[in-house]
Amino acid sequence: MNHSVLALVPALPLLASFLLPLVPGAARRLVGPLTLLAVAFIGLNLWPLVQTEPMVLAVGDFAPPLGITFYADSVSALFVIAVALVTLVLWPWSGSDAGNLDRKQSLTLILAGACGGLAVSGDLFNVYVFYELAAVASFGLAAGARTAAAQIATFRYVVIGSLCSLLALLGITLIYVQTGTVNLAHLAQLAPLKLHNPLGLAAFFMILLGLGVKAELFLVNTWAPDVYATAEARVSGLLAGLVSKLALLAVVRLLVLIFPLPEARDALLLLGMLGILSGEFAAFRARDVKRMLAWSSIAQLGAAFVAFAIPGPAGLAAGLAVALHHLLVKPALFLLADRWGGSLAQITGAARNSPVSAGLFVLFILSMLGVPPLPGFWAKYLLLSGLAAQPEGLWWLAGAIILLTTVVEAVYLFRVIGALYGRDHTVTPKTQSATAVIGSGVFAAVLLAVAFSAPLLALPLNRMAVQMADSAAYIARVLPPVLPGVAP
Amino acid sequence: MTEFTLYTFLAASLGLIAIGIGGVILSRNLFRIVLALSIAEAGGNLLLVLIGFRHDAIAPIIEPGRALTTMVDSIPQAMVLTSIVIGAGVQALALALAIRARASYGTLDMGIMRARMEADINRVAGAESAASLHAPASSSTLLTERKA
Amino acid sequence: MLTRYSALIFAAGLAFMLFVLFSGLPLGAPGMVVGQAVLDRAPAEVGAANIVTAVVLGYRGIDTMGELAILFAAATAIGLVLGRSRGSRHCPPAIQPGGFILRAGNDMLFPLLLVVGLYIILHGHLTPGGGFQGGVVLAAAFVLPVLARPTDMPSHAAMAWIEGLAGAAFILTGMAALAYDRAFLAPLLGTGEMGALVSAGTLPILYLAVGLKVGAELASLLLSLTEEGGD
Repeated sequence: MNHSVLALVPALPLLASFLLPLVPGAARRLVGPLTLLAVAFIGLNLWPLVQTEPMVLAVGDFAPPLGITFYADSVSALFVIAVALVTLVLWPWSGSDAGNLDRKQSLTLILAGACGGLAVSGDLFNVYVFYELAAVASFGLAAGARTAAAQIATFRYVVIGSLCSLLALLGITLIYVQTGTVNLAHLAQLAPLKLHNPLGLAAFFMILLGLGVKAELFLVNTWAPDVYATAEARVSGLLAGLVSKLALLAVVRLLVLIFPLPEARDALLLLGMLGILSGEFAAFRARDVKRMLAWSSIAQLGAAFVAFAIPGPAGLAAGLAVALHHLLVKPALFLLADRWGGSLAQITGAARNSPVSAGLFVLFILSMLGVPPLPGFWAKYLLLSGLAAQPEGLWWLAGAIILLTTVVEAVYLFRVIGALYGRDHTVTPKTQSATAVIGSGVFAAVLLAVAFSAPLLALPLNRMAVQMADSAAYIARVLPPVLPGVAP
Repeated sequence: MTEFTLYTFLAASLGLIAIGIGGVILSRNLFRIVLALSIAEAGGNLLLVLIGFRHDAIAPIIEPGRALTTMVDSIPQAMVLTSIVIGAGVQALALALAIRARASYGTLDMGIMRARMEADINRVAGAESAASLHAPASSSTLLTERKA
Repeated sequence: MLTRYSALIFAAGLAFMLFVLFSGLPLGAPGMVVGQAVLDRAPAEVGAANIVTAVVLGYRGIDTMGELAILFAAATAIGLVLGRSRGSRHCPPAIQPGGFILRAGNDMLFPLLLVVGLYIILHGHLTPGGGFQGGVVLAAAFVLPVLARPTDMPSHAAMAWIEGLAGAAFILTGMAALAYDRAFLAPLLGTGEMGALVSAGTLPILYLAVGLKVGAELASLLLSLTEEGGD
């Protein structure tokens, strides 16, 4: 397979979104789904190839580190598949206004292209560009609900997002001044000499805050509850489920390759712990289902940050498990909460009208809590055992916080279940829409498949984590032994 | 360019960033927030150009027939092009949102708008809160603002 | 009041922190690791006299693709926010028509702006400037008539075609390299003679696509804002 297929992962969806408004007639509705299927096909073909040896593409045939490199290991391949399929499930199939539907489909394609680019990019500034692309597309989609509240929520999102992007740009500037390169492999090679100092750490924290906006990192996540409460359910699902994971992946790549320092890990651990605490308690206080889900999503991404902070492959395995579990669960919950969004009084007795979706809702909630056979349990198990293996008190404190907040989580989630199956309803709850049931049904099927094959999946997960943790192999794979034109 | 001018540029770019960020925090007016954002971004871009500067070097353009001399770093210049374009797109989008928000809420004050947004979200969610005591959208404020 | 002072102190502290961070850096004498390698190798590898162009379209071409997509996403999102769906009732904006001087000046400037814009785009690989700068001049050429004669706006449909086709041309030119078994966005057609108008392989084609795309994108952006602002 020509290595250039890696470049097609971002390029195909962008091409399709440019051309989508020009395609005549009914074929226009097919452009997006077909493109996403093509990207999924690329991802599925990539998967077996990159198991043993990651694939590297020097874009434009310019030898690294001069040009931009794309790098795909098994984690990237998995995320390429996930981006294509999750976007397909959450695709805007229909809308009231044809012109606006075109625009939403274009933006969704751009979002998929940007996420695919984030999964495969091996260049710091290129990561920033794709991150900004994902940001602009998600601003547009978030405002796409076209209510006044959605527009104000999106405006705040834009302001927070662009201020933090500026911070990330300053961080990249700081790194470039010190090293003279933005290629991740080259940076990884130079880091011990030039970046493991206070200035380098300052740059890392700036980039962490910048990319943390989309990953719902504590401090810069204040936009999330309002946006998720006002945006369409599909969009909330995409932002919370998919975009946050790709931002997280970019942060983790930096952490593993360039800043494997205890200070950087401590920062991730602390911010993650604060995210868990603030998210769970705010979710406990929230009175409507959508914002409850938004806050609990912040808490779960906090848990993912804590997991990725654990050094070594164990931490990466735990973090991938937590992140992938959240990727399956949260979009489905947002889809189901679309019609049921509202106070608990509004959904009381909803299970009688739509038993299937109530059952799915309960399934996802049980998995989120970590009830044994479901994947959520394995994610939490990996996370807690990873934390317990660490020697110091701060890690154990994180473990204790996760266990304690599970109780809080259980209380507020069982309040919802109690309301769904309650009898004394005053308002007749709305029935579910077919798209929400089908969409969340797909996620539930994957969730159950993972649950039944959990023992089989431990091995590939560990292999992915080991491959991702091996920064020496990354450098050797991307950079030739003697850099062309660069003095050693 | 002497060391002094170089550090003046550095101070200017960092000052622009600080002014912009301070402006975003201080302003309540949506339009001023967008302006402050663009000031901060200008500072960031200036800084990016500045780090590519090199004493006694020329712009990175080769003229046929002239001997090759030292040139400034071209990569930050390419990056700054990217970052300017990103900034322009984001600011235009923010302005469009501000225009829309003013059309629906009749004001550009962030504080009032956030209260209204809370009230709207709570109303859709069917939960009542202190924020819903504010007048709903499309009431008197809108008319007075329009006349003013 | 308290928030104001604390915000001021915060901004001042931030400025101080940034100054401390950046003042220790080698300003004026950058390390130039990759930068020097690019300066040395770009003439032979890309053949563009303007090395910034070689970086923008060659070494960092994927970034430029991302930029075009960002502009497209912003224009699409603004269309979605301002919400005039295609084919719906077109309200003429309530801007006063321009006076005689503006109209006459517009008529004279329009062809000049077009020529200057296209010149800047087509010489992007030789002289300072290029697709982005020239594209902005092109956009100005199409926005100026809106001020002079607000009643006959350029049509959104034409803009949409230019936007789509120019963006697609950029990516398809990149994909053409795949047919020659080269990597995505690899420069084709040889480097040519340094400094000649027809040189640097596919770079002028890419810059033309960028220029048209940026011009159409900015023009449609401004048109959307103008239509909405006229209420």
